[in-house]
Amino acid sequence: MNKVYEAVNWDRPSNDYIEMLWNQNTSQFWLDTEIPVSKDLKTWDTLSDEEKLVFMRVLGGLTLLDTEQGNVGMPMIAMHVKDQQKKAVLIFQAAMEEIHAKSYSTIFTTVADQSKIDNIFQWVKEEPHLQKKTKWIDDIYKNIQPNDDYSLYQAMVASVFLESFLFYSGFFYPLYISGQGKMVASGEIIKLILRDESVHGVFVGLLAQELYQSFSPEKQQEAKEFVYTFLNTLYENEVGYTETVYDSINLTHEVKKYVRYNANKALMNIGMEPHFEEEDINPVVLNGIRTETSTHDFFSTKGKGYQKGKVEPLRDEDFAFVNELVEQSSN
Amino acid sequence: MNNHVSKWIELNNEIMMQKDGQFQFDKDKEAVKSYFIDYVNKNTVFFHDLKEKLDYLVENNYYEQELLNQYSFEEIKNVYQYVYDQKFRFPSFMSAFKFYHNYSLRTNEGDKFLERYEDRIAICSLALAQGDGKKALDIANVLITQQYQPATPTFLNVGRKRRGELVSCFLLEVDDSMNAIGYAINSALQLSKIGGGVSLNLSKLRAAGEPIKEIEGKASGVLPVMKILEDSFSYANQLGQRDGSGAVYLNVFHPDINGFLETKKINADEKIRIKTLSLGVVAPDKFFELAEKDKDMYLFYPYSVHKAYGQHLDDMDISSMYDELVNNPEVKKKKIAARDLLIKIAQLQMESGYPYIMFSDNTNKDHALKQVGRVKFSNLCSEIAQLSEVSNITDYHLPDEIGRDISCNLGSLNIVNVMKENNMQQTVHLAMEALTEVSDRTSISHVPSVAKANEDMHSVGLGAMNLHGFLAKNKLNYESKEARDFVRTFFMLMNYYSLEKSMLMAKERGKTFVDYERSEYANGNYFDKYKTENYHPQTELVQALFEGFELPSIEDWQQLKENVMEYGVYHAYRLAVAPTGSISYLQSATASISPITQKIEEREYGDSKTYYPMPYIGADNFFYYKEAYDMDMFKVIDLVAEAQVHVDQAISTILFVKDDLSTRDIAKYYIYANKKGLKTLYYTRTKKKTIDECISCAV
Repeated sequence: MNKVYEAVNWDRPSNDYIEMLWNQNTSQFWLDTEIPVSKDLKTWDTLSDEEKLVFMRVLGGLTLLDTEQGNVGMPMIAMHVKDQQKKAVLIFQAAMEEIHAKSYSTIFTTVADQSKIDNIFQWVKEEPHLQKKTKWIDDIYKNIQPNDDYSLYQAMVASVFLESFLFYSGFFYPLYISGQGKMVASGEIIKLILRDESVHGVFVGLLAQELYQSFSPEKQQEAKEFVYTFLNTLYENEVGYTETVYDSINLTHEVKKYVRYNANKALMNIGMEPHFEEEDINPVVLNGIRTETSTHDFFSTKGKGYQKGKVEPLRDEDFAFVNELVEQSSN
Repeated sequence: MNNHVSKWIELNNEIMMQKDGQFQFDKDKEAVKSYFIDYVNKNTVFFHDLKEKLDYLVENNYYEQELLNQYSFEEIKNVYQYVYDQKFRFPSFMSAFKFYHNYSLRTNEGDKFLERYEDRIAICSLALAQGDGKKALDIANVLITQQYQPATPTFLNVGRKRRGELVSCFLLEVDDSMNAIGYAINSALQLSKIGGGVSLNLSKLRAAGEPIKEIEGKASGVLPVMKILEDSFSYANQLGQRDGSGAVYLNVFHPDINGFLETKKINADEKIRIKTLSLGVVAPDKFFELAEKDKDMYLFYPYSVHKAYGQHLDDMDISSMYDELVNNPEVKKKKIAARDLLIKIAQLQMESGYPYIMFSDNTNKDHALKQVGRVKFSNLCSEIAQLSEVSNITDYHLPDEIGRDISCNLGSLNIVNVMKENNMQQTVHLAMEALTEVSDRTSISHVPSVAKANEDMHSVGLGAMNLHGFLAKNKLNYESKEARDFVRTFFMLMNYYSLEKSMLMAKERGKTFVDYERSEYANGNYFDKYKTENYHPQTELVQALFEGFELPSIEDWQQLKENVMEYGVYHAYRLAVAPTGSISYLQSATASISPITQKIEEREYGDSKTYYPMPYIGADNFFYYKEAYDMDMFKVIDLVAEAQVHVDQAISTILFVKDDLSTRDIAKYYIYANKKGLKTLYYTRTKKKTIDECISCAV
């Protein structure tokens, strides 16, 4: 029999959250070129050589992870998820990952010269922790078997770990210094990325939870063991990565706390219990990840507050409504 | 400094870490204390006494010798003594930090403070009192009691030997010739170098596709000029203190209006994309009328209009000229749907916050100098509404005909403290003197059209801040009838006292602004609205707030009218309500007459990030600090409309919307604001729901 090809039908949402996630994703669309990164040149010069190196390295690391997520993670998961609308959201998210990966380059290109940038990309190729975590995640993505929900579940967990957990050792530093008024435009870019990743993490987390619910109790037990084992493996590697990057500026301790905090958040996204003790995180960084609109003015940065507008035409009744209101208010 | 966050920043950030469901407001007090003990005190240069300090500051080129020479040492000492005796303390970290970080004079190396807040106030008072020791004390009083606050350029620069200009705001006309465009760009560079924001009116420029030297289709319109201006502003920064800022205004009847707006679209092509330049549109009533009737609107090619009438399109009253222009075959035009344009403006505001909107018919109907000239555009913060006259910039060997551009120096009353001290007449009078002194002292020689207007017009802009703070403190809702009742009386008083002072200054100096004879003050029409209405409070709650105030009666207004008609007024323009950014932090006040945006504000300036709990916030008034995004914007417009009646220039008004509104909702606010008599709208701020908020209601 011939295969039947099905068109995505947004008139019939496949569940009650899918359209909302599509809207959330598309309304926060942005491009790296909207942010005037050149404003950061002044504060770039105030960073010490060690600080500059950390900044470049974390961005290099983040570029690698976003590349993996955009080129492999999201497309592979999208390929194996059956629902057409979920696929659509995942592919949109994949496109955003590419914009993220490019936006780090926008920052690089603005602040550093060619040879320094090349050195960073070389460093990314040689840094063992970075290579290891990318390989582990990549293996799980590539291991998804057709019509096998368990391998798909593993890939979703890996994706949530990548986006809600592994990114944050890198996010820490730009947030930390932009909280102190340095590299503020770059900080805006990081916050826009973070705003996206938090939506991606929630969405893929929901998909994972749906699959988990469909498993037998034995399979659920197996899944749980996989989650925590994998988390611990990644965490151990992350500790090494953090030490390599942050030791030179004495922030290792703070970053590790932040990594554990986000590991717990990733677990919550996939509906699992937190693994690490609750700790006090540096408030400057924690405030940086709150995704509300903050106050800024025309002398200041662009801000993450603006978004694509919802367009609706004016109607006669709108004018009638306003005229009525004018009349009422003048009485 | 090491890599670690300072103790005071951390304490300040800890406000947000809730304990037992409560924000830790006391952490902010600890933060201020730590900031002083661990930072400010350790980094302030110590002097044994005032004499030693002033000598040092003068000898090392920090302070102006001539300024201090106007006074005896005794007089100077009295001012410093008085200011220090008031025992001023910053109530929040943000206010202290703002002062020391942005305003305090530092050593040349930049690492040590040479001024405390009291010192800045003392030198500011001395500088603004023109050698009058008694007046210096009076000004010191309104400054240290935080009743009056000069705008940043004045407060920051005054008294310094090496400084920028004291004036914050410039507006420039651009004529439709290459000489004029060159003059405008040069002026923009010069002004950006020395001052604050520069706004330019592009409505006179010929549109894309119009002829150059009679050859059709050669003009490239306003977009390339915008690009050049944007780059000019990012090049010229005030000694690196902040990037230059610029705005451009275009009339909605200019054929380039669509392209003008699209430069701000998120997906705009890089070649035309405008990132840092602010945009404003000038919208006559006719535009809204056509939209209401759902008709097409004709856009008029400015060059063809000028050719046909010998007058620029935007120098005309477009609303009354519209039919004439439509029917004139000499005028080249293009047709679009009025509603589409309105929606496009709304869409852009949601995407980028821009454009600002000037309701040009409201502005010109209520214009005290309507017989002298038209108000054609506004400034970077949309609170300025003054006439301008374009210059004729000729070739090098010929003399230019210099017209009037606009400069305006600003200051604001702190409503809470003005109401507390109950001495509003004197406070407003002193504020007007302080502002006038800045205007008198300013002469922008690089831009003769600005210098000419300043010399002719003596314009100033007195505004107000801390309205929401005042209302919350007195347990009044911002959206209530009482709030509007308060605003109408308060701004009536500002109008009365400022006009009274302007009249007294004209009498004293025997001098009015140029063209006073043709103003609505001279013919008395300005006072029509005060003939039958005294604008005293109508509600009991607000009557109680004004208890003990002497409110001018209708007879008092009549008397003022007679005095004005006899002696004239000194200032062509007096009042303008600015958005008050940094200075409202210094004053621990809520910004302008706007509603607050966050009970605890997260502030991202280009240079720092801190948390700022609203003034006087506590369990008992928490409820009265409703956040702007939760308010009914129609009610906010109603309140601004009450104030606007008494303000001769404009009021910078921000719309606050949540992201679930559509362009249609936003457009309704514009229509309403226009009908309610607002002169301008500043930008629109959109609050995005966080993912937690929306996922929790759906899953």
